[in-house]
Amino acid sequence: MAETKVADQLDSLVSLERGEIDRRIFSDPEIFDLEMKHIFGRAWLFLCHESQIPRRGDFFEAPMGTDNVLVVRQKDGGIKAFLNTCSHRGNAVCRAEEGNVRNFMCTYHGWTFGLDGELVGVPGSSLFYKDKLDRSKHPLRKVAQLESYRGFVFATFDETAPPLPEYLGATGRLGLDLLAERGDMEVIPGIQKFTVKTNWKFTVDNVFDYYHPQITHMSAFALGLIPAPPDNYMEGGAKSETGANLEVPFLPTDLHNVVMVGEYGHAISGPDQDALEVSTGVEPFAWRHNDETQARLGRHGSRVAGHPHIFPTTWVTAGGQLSLRVPREPGVTEIWWFSFRDKNASPEENAALLSSHIHFFGPAGLLEQEDGENWAQSTLQTKGLHSREVPQLLKMGLGTSEVVKDDGLAIIDAPINEHAQLWTYHSWREWLRNPTWEELRERTVPHDRF
Amino acid sequence: MTTETAEQARLTAVLLQHEVEQFYYHESALLDAHRYEDWVFLFTEDTHYFMPLRRTVTRRQLHLEFTKPGEMAFFDEDKNYLEIRARKFATGTSWAEDPPSRTRHLITNVRIGEKSGDELQVHSNFLLYRTRLKNDLDQWVGRREDTLRRTEAGLAIAKRHIFLDQTVLQSANLSSFF
Ligand code: FES
Ligand SMILES: [Fe+2]
Repeated sequence: MAETKVADQLDSLVSLERGEIDRRIFSDPEIFDLEMKHIFGRAWLFLCHESQIPRRGDFFEAPMGTDNVLVVRQKDGGIKAFLNTCSHRGNAVCRAEEGNVRNFMCTYHGWTFGLDGELVGVPGSSLFYKDKLDRSKHPLRKVAQLESYRGFVFATFDETAPPLPEYLGATGRLGLDLLAERGDMEVIPGIQKFTVKTNWKFTVDNVFDYYHPQITHMSAFALGLIPAPPDNYMEGGAKSETGANLEVPFLPTDLHNVVMVGEYGHAISGPDQDALEVSTGVEPFAWRHNDETQARLGRHGSRVAGHPHIFPTTWVTAGGQLSLRVPREPGVTEIWWFSFRDKNASPEENAALLSSHIHFFGPAGLLEQEDGENWAQSTLQTKGLHSREVPQLLKMGLGTSEVVKDDGLAIIDAPINEHAQLWTYHSWREWLRNPTWEELRERTVPHDRF
Repeated sequence: MTTETAEQARLTAVLLQHEVEQFYYHESALLDAHRYEDWVFLFTEDTHYFMPLRRTVTRRQLHLEFTKPGEMAFFDEDKNYLEIRARKFATGTSWAEDPPSRTRHLITNVRIGEKSGDELQVHSNFLLYRTRLKNDLDQWVGRREDTLRRTEAGLAIAKRHIFLDQTVLQSANLSSFF
């Protein structure tokens, strides 16, 4: 009997009830192709921040699934995005990652495209084409829709996709608000880009994971790089290879978590601000200690101290960075870090912020070095004929939490749990069924209990 | 007597070249032997250890290729942060380096430039070959711009700017020193 296609087994691949995931979703090439088509081919995807392309002719090359698009500042101040492939014979019309141009000239035969992607020049059009070529029919292929939300530029290849604010919903918008509200935000020049041998979903799963820092980032705790509660030590059995009990300072199990799960798969998960500030004695959220910001973030939003995630691959950090996880192959993902600062901050404030951006995440980051290690090894083990049959477990707090719906948000107040990860995988499965937007929305309305 | 003076100057240059190269070989040996705390000792208190990001840009915009201090970077370290990094390895729980990676630092094309007071400008090329775990392999090639300073303890690194020959980094981490 022929093996069943993985796509026909979606129901058995992800189980919200059991909190189990089939490991094959992390390495199967057929699944990867379906993701590119049904998720990255349809979703609103983050391209860049408007501050990266301030002047006319500024461009930034961004990934959309397996395609590369040029995001370009127009003469009239607007923004357009089109595929970086010549309408003649396909050559890339731009081979720089970012820069400024008057137009894009293809280096194959010289077809030239304006900032708006229109074909404005064809060498020898009368001599070679006898003036028969209709230029207006061969512009660069544009994305179907492009919109900005508070300076964050997104695009989709699906012209039937709902407008961006609707796609983001209350949860996704809050995720971006939590970055935009810090001031007059701009991207610091320089996008860190590096390559990890991992499936992109491991990098997403990790965003919400407050169980791992105590072990993964143990060395950073030990050096005081992350503030740790002084008298709480790990129980439950982490023992070193010599048999010694590891005295791990940890985020206490009763640390209050705020989880928000939203339509289409967006989620936020992490400590409640008060719980975090009390337990660690630091106040990293001073920027929101004023009434206006509190009001704009709302009653629930202003308590969030964890990491928001915009489905499928945009992570906003509590420290003011945005990370894009770019799938290149089933087992290869590029991590891109966009780092923000407030245009009106003092040089001292900016220097301190830059230092924290550089020292936490990125390939030399004192935290992310260790994360990449875990993702790569986890991915590797999904390839073994027998290893891949072992399910991924997401059972923490399973079935114990109430979902409260308020202000358009679906909120879970609970100790550290794995609800946001499960929600991401659940939504991922629904996307892969390639439903209509209405169906997708209905199937990703959060349940009442988790 | 001018020929003798010229010869003398050449000899001085050769001796200095030898001293600087030996300093780099010693430095490389410390790193490849995982003696990071001894390595940090080679830096001055006011050192600046910096690895900018590199971008693929057109020739016309080559001046924008590297980020500058004050912009994003892979490393932007003072002595304190170098010490923190060295101590992190020593915790025994810095998993990206435990099991430790195996490195080989090859330093070549050492060119001594301007000298002023007790400081020397030195440019060099490097190949850092690294293997990790069973079969991970990274190779980084690039160039370093150092300011070396004569101190009582010998030569010390007062500034090191490292320019990698990669834009999208082809590695999962930079848990090695350059
Ligand atoms: S492929 Fe671009 S001009 Fe021919
Ligand atoms: Fe982590």
